Amino acid sequence: MITGSDGQSRPAGSPKKPLISIKNVGLSYGNFQALTDVSVDFYQGELVGLVGDNGAGKTTLIRIISGIIPPTSGEVYFDGERIIKFHPKKAIDLGLECIQQAIGLCDNLSVGRNYFLGREPVRRILGLPFLDKKKIREASAKVVHDFGLRDSVDVDDEIALLSGGEKQTFKIARAVTFRNRVIIMDEPTNHLSVRERTRVNELAVQLKQQGLLVIYITHDIFQIHRIADRIVILENGRKVTDVPRDAMSAEALEGIIRDGSRTSTKEPKVS
Amino acid sequence: MRAAIAHLVRRHPEGGTVTLVVLISLTFAIVTGGSWLSTGNLQSLSQLTAVLAIMAFGEAIVIATGQIDISVGSVSGIGALTFLGLAPVVGSGFGLVAALLFGVLIGGINGVFVAFLGIPSLLVTLGTLFLFQGIGYAVTSGFSFAASNVVRKQFIYNGFGGGTVAGVNTGVIWALTILVVLQLAVFEMPVGNRLLAIGGDAASSFSRGVNVTRIKFGVFVVSGVLAALSGALDAAFIGYADGSFGAGMELSAIAAAVLGGCHLAGGRISLIGTLLGAFILRGIQSFLIILGVQPQWYILVVGLIVVLAGLADRTLTRLVLKR
Repeated sequence: MITGSDGQSRPAGSPKKPLISIKNVGLSYGNFQALTDVSVDFYQGELVGLVGDNGAGKTTLIRIISGIIPPTSGEVYFDGERIIKFHPKKAIDLGLECIQQAIGLCDNLSVGRNYFLGREPVRRILGLPFLDKKKIREASAKVVHDFGLRDSVDVDDEIALLSGGEKQTFKIARAVTFRNRVIIMDEPTNHLSVRERTRVNELAVQLKQQGLLVIYITHDIFQIHRIADRIVILENGRKVTDVPRDAMSAEALEGIIRDGSRTSTKEPKVS
Repeated sequence: MRAAIAHLVRRHPEGGTVTLVVLISLTFAIVTGGSWLSTGNLQSLSQLTAVLAIMAFGEAIVIATGQIDISVGSVSGIGALTFLGLAPVVGSGFGLVAALLFGVLIGGINGVFVAFLGIPSLLVTLGTLFLFQGIGYAVTSGFSFAASNVVRKQFIYNGFGGGTVAGVNTGVIWALTILVVLQLAVFEMPVGNRLLAIGGDAASSFSRGVNVTRIKFGVFVVSGVLAALSGALDAAFIGYADGSFGAGMELSAIAAAVLGGCHLAGGRISLIGTLLGAFILRGIQSFLIILGVQPQWYILVVGLIVVLAGLADRTLTRLVLKR
């Protein structure tokens, strides 16, 4: 396996300083250890595939990165600065957008209001912040149009009226159109048609080419192997593999996932 | 046709309530031979509607976040007792401020338990409902507070429920003012967008950076202060309050909100509908009084209406959310 002396690999020619640095992070829910001593660096302009079986700790890791839960041990650095206070607002302000499977949209709100939730544009009248409804409508209508949602979608309609695929596309659209530095995609192609899936994967590559860091979570190693620069595999809450895409075939990586932590881990097993 | 109706209902959740208001107004007017529409009845009806609506507005804001506040009846009682109890001693201005501060305090207690400690709002506010009802009874211990003639002449007393402007009780003016303020805050401001978002999907709101804890805390404070104000306004109108003041009002407040198109699951409310819901409940109450029906039957009618409103709510929601 081709990895650096620290057990990590980094893309050739990328700046040395990682944008996000996870150092010895652990997280436990009561007695359950969801993550154990995970260290991984993410660099700007990289598309990293975060892979692992169900319950491997992928979603837990990105929940920490996006500020939803604080780790119980270890440190997280963003652009060299250590993160002390974990809150989604902080992550969003730092330019980190996470597209999650189950959450991110409020069914009862209109398309436009969902688009701007948490960072609503305002017009001040007598010093009071009123929603800039014109801007909300225009900006969200443009996104709906640019990302090829149905023409019949009215941005004043509740988002519950969109289909699953449309909602997913909308979430990605929202993540893309606000200027961000990091896009995390958590199983973005679940429940999508083949065509929609191809489109999402193309978008992920485009974002990377624009210089963003894209962390792509999936359990489909073959799909991610085609587009990622680097593959990180988690297994039972531990990082077991971290290799450039070219270093291993998708089949070999699949073998690692299938065989669990019995193979390939460099860390000595603690009994 | 069905799509058109769905669209209409989606944009105007209080549409059904408006229809109901027109229907019952006409029916009651005809059945009572016009006396339901008499100036006297409408004056008393508007005052009764106003105090219930103010309480129900607070309830609606809490319901918007997917919570419930059943302590409002007791809070209005505390507001009424504080106002009438302190007005003769410190003047009605300070009495009113003290009443509102108690509302903030009790709302704050509810808010801390629900928002910060994560205890279900039904449980917390059921506790404070009994707790402050008990305190109300203990403080009065069989006595009651009545507004003295000095107090009745005070400007604040008359400006807050004790007097009228052009024949309209000042409480009605406060209800309409609060309606406008809340309507703007909930539907035209970022804070309202976030409030409704929490009721729709708290986890999603949190992931968008919304401060869920702070907003949940805030709605209980708003509900508390409005309930206390409602009690003070009503006490000033009646000029008298005892330990049972506000008892049972929480049910009418919840019923008014539900009747007005507020979804108990959260995320969808109508404040105009809530005002109309309060009007319907009070209208039925006054109708029963004119007919000479014993007031106990009112409770039965409220219960029936809430069940029917819940049923209609379900049907409408299904209609609206069908693609």
